Amino acid sequence: MTNTPSFVHRSCYATLAFAIVVGAAAGCGKTQPASFRLNMVQATKTSAPEADLERPWEKWSQDRQSQVATILLAMFGTPDEPLALAESGLDEAKLRLAAGPVRSDIVGRKNGLYREHCVHCHGISGDGMGPTAAFLNPYPRDYRPGKFKFKSTWRDAKPTSADLVRVLHEGIAGTSMPSFALLAPTQVDALAEYVRYLSIRGEAELALFTYAEQELGGDEQLPTTREFLVDEILTPIVGKWAAAEESQIPIAAVPAGVDFGLPASDFANRESVARGRVLFLGDGGCVKCHGVTALGDGQANDYDDWNKTIVEVSKEVAGSLDASRQAPTGELSPEKLAEHRARAEWLHAFVEVLEGDALRPRTIPPRNLRQGVYRGGRRPLDLYRRLYTGINGAPMPGVGPSGPGGKGSVADAEIWHIVNYIRSLPYEFDGELGADRPMIAKDRF
Amino acid sequence: MIRLAAFNWTHVVACLLVGVTAVLLSFGALVTTYEAAMAVPDWPATYGHNMFLFPLAEWLNGPWDLFLEHGHRLLGALTGLITLGLAGVVWRSSTHAAVRWLVVAAVALVLVQGGLGGARVLLDDKTVAKVHACTGPLFFAVAVAIAVLSRGRAPTASHEVATRVPVALLVAAYLQLVAGAQLRHLDASVEPATFHSLVGLHIVGAIAVTVLTVASAAVTASTEGSPSARLWSRGMLVLVGGQLFLGAGAWVANWGVPADIIPASWQLSEPLRARSVWAAAVVTGHVVLGMLILGGAVVLAIESGGFGRRAAAAAAGRRAFA
Ligand code: HEC
Ligand code: HEC
Repeated sequence: MTNTPSFVHRSCYATLAFAIVVGAAAGCGKTQPASFRLNMVQATKTSAPEADLERPWEKWSQDRQSQVATILLAMFGTPDEPLALAESGLDEAKLRLAAGPVRSDIVGRKNGLYREHCVHCHGISGDGMGPTAAFLNPYPRDYRPGKFKFKSTWRDAKPTSADLVRVLHEGIAGTSMPSFALLAPTQVDALAEYVRYLSIRGEAELALFTYAEQELGGDEQLPTTREFLVDEILTPIVGKWAAAEESQIPIAAVPAGVDFGLPASDFANRESVARGRVLFLGDGGCVKCHGVTALGDGQANDYDDWNKTIVEVSKEVAGSLDASRQAPTGELSPEKLAEHRARAEWLHAFVEVLEGDALRPRTIPPRNLRQGVYRGGRRPLDLYRRLYTGINGAPMPGVGPSGPGGKGSVADAEIWHIVNYIRSLPYEFDGELGADRPMIAKDRF
Repeated sequence: MIRLAAFNWTHVVACLLVGVTAVLLSFGALVTTYEAAMAVPDWPATYGHNMFLFPLAEWLNGPWDLFLEHGHRLLGALTGLITLGLAGVVWRSSTHAAVRWLVVAAVALVLVQGGLGGARVLLDDKTVAKVHACTGPLFFAVAVAIAVLSRGRAPTASHEVATRVPVALLVAAYLQLVAGAQLRHLDASVEPATFHSLVGLHIVGAIAVTVLTVASAAVTASTEGSPSARLWSRGMLVLVGGQLFLGAGAWVANWGVPADIIPASWQLSEPLRARSVWAAAVVTGHVVLGMLILGGAVVLAIESGGFGRRAAAAAAGRRAFA
């Protein structure tokens, strides 16, 4: 009993000490101003040591990285002070609303929307690697390759402004991406513009590294002229974004016998659903992934493009590293030996980057279509678009033509029947499976 | 005629302080939930006005962010004044040294906390915000301790184990709030690895608090301790049980149903809505309940004799005076 107070004291001191340690671990001193992170996977991938390298590889690659960082800073500014060149087509006023730390301005309007609502998932650079990302499946979108899934345009085209706003407004069902319907429309607008900004910036970064790899010799510097940066790097990217409005896919008229006002199980839709089923099992080629049962139990070991990049690069690096370890170095000439060393150094750096600057790759399972949860929206029009172009960046192919004037595996108007069939799937009695009840009792009616 | 001097003013004012602090901390939690800390860019003034003279209509009819932040400031000022009042009351009474020292600590903490709040705004710094979020509950715990010790009823001394477990619970409950505050104040520069360790720490903390709460209930029930310690430890079971639910809810409200652990058929069919009232309520409620658990742990630690003879003497001294 007598030593209880000292136990209490010890506990209190321990508490205090712990609190201090946690405080320190969480980042001591004043928080650093936010800065964009380089795309290290791309930076490393494009900096394989060249044969005529005169400096140590590490110095040389760091030098290249800082060149790219400097150019990006000049073209796009910082997360606190975004910059929109006139040629970028971006609206700097909107960007300012979305960028920077969270605070209200003098008229009480909230700034820093991206950091308030998005940064913990999508990351300060829009690389989809915010602090929470590793907990999420699917991972948050990495905007930097400029690829988006849920849109009204051709598969390879950019989303329109309305598409981005719609994703923000609706959220993505079945994922952690929330709906921002409760924000003011001007705020959602500013956020969509900021997504575009991060995306264009990310694509410019990719282009710069790729250019450096393909066009520059060992010790050459990236050009910093306006002609190069604007005409050669920025304009092609911005052009694709500007073309989005005209790149929307055509929407075929809904054929007779399809009534989306009624449930798919209604008698009026009977023939259309049956037709859709035939297409689903046949020409559509859907069973390869979604399975005959549409439970999503077909091919399930594929990756989406973002993860595939990492998977492929990792494989290559691991292979090269093995080869480099096994290569006999005994009889190499001094130059060859230096080259070999530089290469090994590069590969080791690459392994570190892949461990530290990339998320662990995850497969993307084909959707279980009997759950009735559609990420790109559940209106028939949304499903039509998903089927027409497929899902950009994901293995899901489209059944419509791949571009204007092309021919798809299913005629445009027929796609509506598949849509109707998909609508029916959560409620379908599947006798073939021996089930005498709906596969998923998740009826909303 | 009622003799005012016979009234236990220390206890009354301390209870008032506990109540107002609870509201203050709830407002603080809402400020963080809605990221409203920078809704007022200046400090100690509010948009150029003296804080106390800021037009009422503008406060109540203005943006929600402004309502929260300015309200938090007003409540903070009120809390400071009550703390000073308490110090005055204690100064004039012959309260026991333990209570006096706690009141000194409360005054120091409330001043530091006000300063930290100001620094958080003036420097717009999330690190300061994290410290501010850790000092708040500490102050609350001190206020609760003063209220309990000034009550005038000595806790029954109990078995040694029966006192140690509740004290350990108190420590764990506070550390859990510290870890939680780090998770809540995410800024753009937080390294994912740091964040993951903090999440891990918070989960381990949750397990520790739960185990210690169950253990407290067990030891207070099995030894011949005070009946009120027994009652409090059971109440704590309810609070901590609820907190586990809110914690899971906060996870879902922020990041959705974890797809790797929970089967797909359990996933939400509708996307979450950022800024929805229920999400804000769950997340903020998790913080507020954490604070209540801390307060409960203080009571329990004292009731079960955790602060030993000092506490007993303090309470007894108060009784002699009354
Ligand atoms: C809780 C984490 C989380 C938050 C917060 C979040 N997102 Fe997402 N976001 C995701 C996930 C996960 C995906 C990917 C879903 C998928 O691939 O199906 C995504 C995808 C996207 C997409 C791509 C849509 C497409 O068509 O490909 C955009 C654009 C987007 N988010 C913008 C935002 C913006 C802007 C904010 C802030 C206002 C935000 N997100 C907040 C998790 C989040
Ligand atoms: C190569 C494999 C593959 C084929 C073939 C395929 N899908 Fe998919 N499908 C997927 C994957 C993978 C997803 C999940 C994509 C995602 O989560 O981004 C998906 C998702 C879907 C979705 C959900 C869309 C949404 O908004 O959530 C529907 C509907 C769908 N597929 C229907 C079909 C139909 C109909 C066919 C045949 C015409 C088909 N799929 C063919 C792989 C495939």
